[in-house]
Amino acid sequence: MWEFPRTRYADCNGSEASEETEIAVNIGGVKHILYGDVLNRYPETRLAELVNRATDSTQDVLCALCDDYDDSKREFYFDRDPEAFKCILELYYYGEIHMKRGICPMCFMKEMDYWGIDAEYLDECCISSLNEVQTELEEIAEKVKNILDDLEDDATLTRAQRCQAFLWKLMEKPESSLAARVIAVVSFAFILLSSVVMCMSTIPELQVEDAEGNLVEHPTLESIETACIIWFTAEYILRFLSSSNQVRFVFSFMNIIDFLAIMPFYVVLILTHLGTAVMELANVQQAVQALRIMRIARIFKLARHSSGLQTLTFALKSSLKELGLLLMYMSVGIFLFSALGYTLEQSHPETMFTSIPQSFWWAIITMTTVGYGDIYPKTTLGKCNAAVSFLCGVIAIALPIHPIINNFVIVYSKQRVLETAAKHEIELMALRAREKAQECPEAERTASGGSSSVWDSAAVSASQSDTYIPLLGDTTNVSKDQPTHKCKNN
Amino acid sequence: MDKPSAGMSKVGSRSTASLPPEPVDIIRSMSCYRRVKLNVGGLPHEVLWRTLDRLPRTRLGKLRDCKTHESLMDICDDYNLDDNEYFFDRHPGAFTSILNFYRTGKLHMMEEMCALSFSQELDYWGVDEIYLESCCQARYHQKKEQMNEELKREADTLKDREGEEFDNTCCSEKRKKLWDLLEKPGSSVAAKILAIISILFIVLSTIALSLNTLPELQDTDEFGQTTDNPQLAHVEAVCIAWFTMEYLLRFLSSPNKWKFFKGPLNVIDLLAILPYYVTIFLTESNKSVLQFQNVRRVVQIFRIMRILRILKLARHSTGLQSLGFTLRRSYNELGLLILFLAMGIMIFSSLVFFAEKDEDDTKFKSIPASFWWATITMTTVGYGDIYPKTLLGKIVGGLCCIAGVLVIALPIPIIVNNFSEFYKEQKRQEKAIKRREALERAKRNGSIVSMNVREAFSRGAELLDVVVMDKGERTQDNHLSPSRWKWSSKRATSETSSNRSFNPDQGSPSKARASSPQRLNAQKLEEMYNQMAKTQSQPNLNTKDRSSSRAGHRRDEIELGALPSQGGDPLILGREGVVDMKSLSSIDSYISCATDFQENPRFPYSPAGGLSLHESSRFSHSPGSGLSARVSANPSLQTTLEHETMLTPPCSGAKPLNSESLRQPGLLGNSQKIHSVRVNHRNCGEASPSGGPLSDSSILSDHSILSPEVSVYTTASCRTPPKTPERKALTPAVFTFHDASISKYIDADTDDEEHLREGGPSERLLGGLSSKPRLSGYQGATNHLEAAQRLLGQNCLFPLGSSPSVGHENHVASENSRRPKGDRGHSNAFDKGL
Repeated sequence: MWEFPRTRYADCNGSEASEETEIAVNIGGVKHILYGDVLNRYPETRLAELVNRATDSTQDVLCALCDDYDDSKREFYFDRDPEAFKCILELYYYGEIHMKRGICPMCFMKEMDYWGIDAEYLDECCISSLNEVQTELEEIAEKVKNILDDLEDDATLTRAQRCQAFLWKLMEKPESSLAARVIAVVSFAFILLSSVVMCMSTIPELQVEDAEGNLVEHPTLESIETACIIWFTAEYILRFLSSSNQVRFVFSFMNIIDFLAIMPFYVVLILTHLGTAVMELANVQQAVQALRIMRIARIFKLARHSSGLQTLTFALKSSLKELGLLLMYMSVGIFLFSALGYTLEQSHPETMFTSIPQSFWWAIITMTTVGYGDIYPKTTLGKCNAAVSFLCGVIAIALPIHPIINNFVIVYSKQRVLETAAKHEIELMALRAREKAQECPEAERTASGGSSSVWDSAAVSASQSDTYIPLLGDTTNVSKDQPTHKCKNN
Repeated sequence: MDKPSAGMSKVGSRSTASLPPEPVDIIRSMSCYRRVKLNVGGLPHEVLWRTLDRLPRTRLGKLRDCKTHESLMDICDDYNLDDNEYFFDRHPGAFTSILNFYRTGKLHMMEEMCALSFSQELDYWGVDEIYLESCCQARYHQKKEQMNEELKREADTLKDREGEEFDNTCCSEKRKKLWDLLEKPGSSVAAKILAIISILFIVLSTIALSLNTLPELQDTDEFGQTTDNPQLAHVEAVCIAWFTMEYLLRFLSSPNKWKFFKGPLNVIDLLAILPYYVTIFLTESNKSVLQFQNVRRVVQIFRIMRILRILKLARHSTGLQSLGFTLRRSYNELGLLILFLAMGIMIFSSLVFFAEKDEDDTKFKSIPASFWWATITMTTVGYGDIYPKTLLGKIVGGLCCIAGVLVIALPIPIIVNNFSEFYKEQKRQEKAIKRREALERAKRNGSIVSMNVREAFSRGAELLDVVVMDKGERTQDNHLSPSRWKWSSKRATSETSSNRSFNPDQGSPSKARASSPQRLNAQKLEEMYNQMAKTQSQPNLNTKDRSSSRAGHRRDEIELGALPSQGGDPLILGREGVVDMKSLSSIDSYISCATDFQENPRFPYSPAGGLSLHESSRFSHSPGSGLSARVSANPSLQTTLEHETMLTPPCSGAKPLNSESLRQPGLLGNSQKIHSVRVNHRNCGEASPSGGPLSDSSILSDHSILSPEVSVYTTASCRTPPKTPERKALTPAVFTFHDASISKYIDADTDDEEHLREGGPSERLLGGLSSKPRLSGYQGATNHLEAAQRLLGQNCLFPLGSSPSVGHENHVASENSRRPKGDRGHSNAFDKGL
């Protein structure tokens, strides 16, 4: 508490009475005696408010301040968790809050919320765990929202919209129906087939000579290729049409890949038919060749059907920094060792290191421990250098790879958990909604005391101002509980 | 639920309020308080009735609606209307989060909670686990699934073991023996030898197989084709004969033929044998057409299949087995790895193909051709038969290297994780099987208070498992263990009823005597007792004290007089001396108990047990039972404390002490064992963590007798509480039970020890003299010690059981341990009673 200048005696600007007041509080059965000046260090908190109003208020007011007030003992009863309160109390004494070990961070945040303490007082060491849980919750909320969107069945849609939604489900959600699943499997098969065909078509034995003596693809393979492309195109167009937000659809990552997978075929088609009129034949052929490379993109289409690949991309995306680190280490090493290798090998008459850029290749191959053997050092010093570069390469790769792997493992293991968590969350929400629907008429009937219904007014307001899972809170409030909430407020 | 226990504890704690209260009282009590005190497993909570009404269908919600005594007792385990307090005999840790659910409407879970026990708590309190917030829910389900999986696997193995029944056909006895011999290398020496021979044969045959392909060792047949070396062929034939015999014997002796046939290890065995016979069959039947190429090729393939026999080693290595299991379990990740690699290969090979295809004399002729390059590069093998030559190709190559390293590294940690998990689990399973055996033994002994079957299994079993495992671990650690373990296993096989549990030891005293450590222990223990007794009876040291104390102890002496086996010892200087000793110790623990009880009501039962142990005729007037009566007469709060502490003191206090002291001999050798056993014994007897002064003094006396083992003593005395403060704390308590002389006596006692230390050698001589004839008596003592330890260990269980019976059990335990002089008939009768 050194940073806080307000000591017992310095705190004169507060109310005169609060300085000597001590209040007895009973938190869920555990009793504490608290001093006014200590509590007033944080005047905006619930306890400070309590102590300030304790002296000059009537009993009714006091009763409203807490859950129960014992006049004879002048004891305030709060129906809260005593364990968490002990941690809360630390704020007044030490100026910082540490979470009790083992308590769920979200649960603790609620307690802090109740006592009117801002989340920023939580100490650094505990914030990390809180953040962890929060991000996880956000992910769950995202999933929940997705599922809810799927479940959403608005009666207000027009027939065309209904058709669109149906198509969307058919194309994008393989688990939604049998037909969708079949379509997904067929699509997967087509991807595999087209990849195989792409590889096969480059085998010289399978190529045929055309009129000018050039080797071109076998006609059968070509027709298969065409069939695949037609399927892909149809798929893409259907997806595009059925998507509710066309712009977002076009710019999403997976769809760009899809587009890249089909586009070359049509470009080639156009070029071969019209291009000769515009430019030289050689140029056209080169362009065609270049575009053929882009067919590789179709392999990435597999990612749509494999959660493992999605995990990989996600993990790589989330560990871009480490990837950069890896590349940096590698490039530094490559520069260093290729330069060294080049210099050290100059003494040998038949050196393979003709220039530094030339020895870049050698450095990469050595550092990644591949070692083709097309270039290798011949002098003793060069060999020593090679050994060192190999060691450094192993380290340079191993060090940044570890966090990447970690990311991958975390994402991979979380993936499975999230799915069940989201499902559970939806169940819970449905249950809550049902319960509230049940309770509401009762509350109306008894009407006399709003507090005697379910979680009393304070608790309800707390749950509404609930900071965590904002998304979830929104979805619950908006999508499900709209009517029930209204009836509650009545 | 805990019906019997609830009823019993109620009787115990509300003995003051003889009649169940009227419904009117209950209603009045409920309506006049706004709050209610809930005592869950000793932890008091206070909560508004209003809060509890939020969930009316749960257990706590129903509490409000209870109008009668019976319905109230249905819901809680005990209650006190005057204090407005309700007691629940449940785990307090989980209740905190459950009560928070009532308060905030959000159910969270403590991190360190076991998911299974939390789910049981939720069941008990009538809260659906669906309410669990998503932040904790993921963790909860993960843990729970893991646990369930583990339990299932354990049950499976158990079922497997039980499935090995040999009752269907003839000569099941022999078949079982054969099965054990062949399948369980750990079961006997012969089995172990067989396993080793089998391993040798496998290694030999593999070596022969590879030597066979050496051109120098090969022969040529009439067609000019190379064939096996005849010597090596003989070796091969012998090996195959052995394998075949092994397989057939296994098959014949197996209890379930079809399961045996399906077993992966047996399939491997079959695959290792079959190729040989197929080859023979093919070559014999096609002798004339052997020159045909396709027959030769088939034969070749079968020859290659012989290499499968190396997999036979898996039978003998758990490491290999777990590798196999891991691969089977993580085929998902393996698939991922292959998928990643395949994609990488595809991408990079096509990239490099387009980069390199215009080069003259390129080896990247097509994409499939460059697959090889991509594979070799991505796995960083790099033969160098194909490598890119253009700049673009080299860039692709460099990227390919790095991507390969990354892609391969990614899924491997998951597989590794699976492997290590599995490996750990297998080790744990081995332990669990042992544990289960011990548990069954204990069940047969009848020493477990069996509750509702489900409850006993789901809750009790876990707790008890821990206890028994403790014991098991201890036995692994110390020197005493082999004999001890053997006893228990013997017991497990031979006994059917509980009172036969000590028979193996009793029936063969000579055998027991032959095993030297036990004997030594008994001897030395006896020795110590004698010395203690003698020093007490030496008049020049403390006549006055003794005489005065004698008066104080008369009652104890009388009671102890019933000890039968003492009469048979001619070498004891004075029987009263020994008795004196005993009574002294009894007073000591009396004192410690008393102080314990006064200072700290958390140990109500252990001291009570410690007290009552000294009354050999314990059914007569005994302060111990008086104390326990007092305990039970206390209001409900007291009972809750009992319940809570029942769990703690035997575990935290006496057990660590025991185990500690038992472990020491293992480290320090034979002679030192005695002290620790002694300490152990004492601690057992006193059963209270602060078994202070006496064990302390005994240690001192030990010290005087066997001087070199100082280290043992230092550790041992560290365990016991510091001497002086303890004693000071004791003195007032002494007055409450006896006259002041006793405390003096205690002081004198320690004085004696000092004297004794000076007069070491003579004492030792005396001790040596006295030790011999009493052997048999002490043999029993150690045995009892065993039993006592076991019983004490099981104290941990009792919070689940009924509290009165706890007292009883404890009584028994300490009784056994405290009467080292044998008194076998008595204890046996006791066992029967149990």
